[in-house]
Amino acid sequence: MRNTHRALNRTLLLIIGLVVLAVGAALIALVAVPGAADLWKNGADGVRAWADGVGEPAFGIGTVAVMVIVAVVLIALPASAVRGSSRVPLESTGAESAAGRIVVTDGFASEALKNSIAERDEILAARVSSNEVRKETVLHVSITPRQNTSPREIAAYVDTLVSNLATLTGQTFRTYISVHSSLRARLAHDQRRLS
Amino acid sequence: MTDSVLRTVVRRETHSPRTVAMLVVVVVLVLGLAYAAVEIILALAGRGPLLVAPGTAFDAVAALPTALTPAAIVTIGVVIALIGLVVVLLAVKPGRLSKHEMTWNDRAVVVDNGVVASALAQHLSNESGIARDNIVVGVAHRAVDVTVRPPLGIAVDQQQLRSIVETEVASYRLTPSVRTHLKVEHPAEAEREDSR
Repeated sequence: MRNTHRALNRTLLLIIGLVVLAVGAALIALVAVPGAADLWKNGADGVRAWADGVGEPAFGIGTVAVMVIVAVVLIALPASAVRGSSRVPLESTGAESAAGRIVVTDGFASEALKNSIAERDEILAARVSSNEVRKETVLHVSITPRQNTSPREIAAYVDTLVSNLATLTGQTFRTYISVHSSLRARLAHDQRRLS
Repeated sequence: MTDSVLRTVVRRETHSPRTVAMLVVVVVLVLGLAYAAVEIILALAGRGPLLVAPGTAFDAVAALPTALTPAAIVTIGVVIALIGLVVVLLAVKPGRLSKHEMTWNDRAVVVDNGVVASALAQHLSNESGIARDNIVVGVAHRAVDVTVRPPLGIAVDQQQLRSIVETEVASYRLTPSVRTHLKVEHPAEAEREDSR
């Protein structure tokens, strides 16, 4: 689970795409629209006159400065948009009852889940992590089952485990279960050798 | 599942973040800007250009309408416009990944289409007695295609196969929902008819 800022990615793509599209359209218009060639030439002359007016070194330095600013923005925006998964440890929780108090240390939940999941034969790989999504902790259980395993069974099994864990620790987790097919699952596909 | 945080998670996991496309576009642009800046600095320092001096480049662009044939200009324009269109489409299209959401109490469950396909094929094989190798299942965003190739001489009840598949698919409670297409192929019988 990653916290990449998707809207920013798409906005950036949209703006750049529209600019490129406009350049292409302008080139086509240069031929298709009468008078566009004159407009193009006048524009170029205008820019040249303006550059001469500013003076060569100043114009060059100014252009480079603008380019540097645009490049910095182009790099800084995505850098802030692409964020790896932010892992937060499951908090220590205490369940209090007449019998006493249970304190669960960090990582216990994920270890307990992983061990229970590993007991199942049809599950090839499991990964448990906790992430922060919109400032809320979400438990992510990623499962790669053996091929031909019903995702319903997997979901039911993990659901039960998480519910049991919730009973044990006295804390309910928002849980996201992802079931993956992998190259490993495909390789582990047991071929019939006897018929 | 009504939890808004989990809704966000499911939305994220079933749609492409477009990070790669964004990075490619940004890297190309920054490289282009860096090259232009180097040429300008070289020109300012009075050194020879790497490829083309900025002044010469500007003159070439200014003389574009007369320097090139109209056909060449249109071709270049169309190519650039197409590149722009692809980038715009990448920004606008949903970019769905080949995954489905499975409704499961208050948990968020996302399943690869491949997992659904293989589970469905196995289930159909178990229920119908047709060998697993003779069943091919493809799961797309809104459709499940099941192709069954029963061995020669085995009668199959299409209606029964369909109901097995549809019951199983319905039990997954996939979002978005899928429609089932069942096809029974009899390649062996077709061959026999040909040879007659």
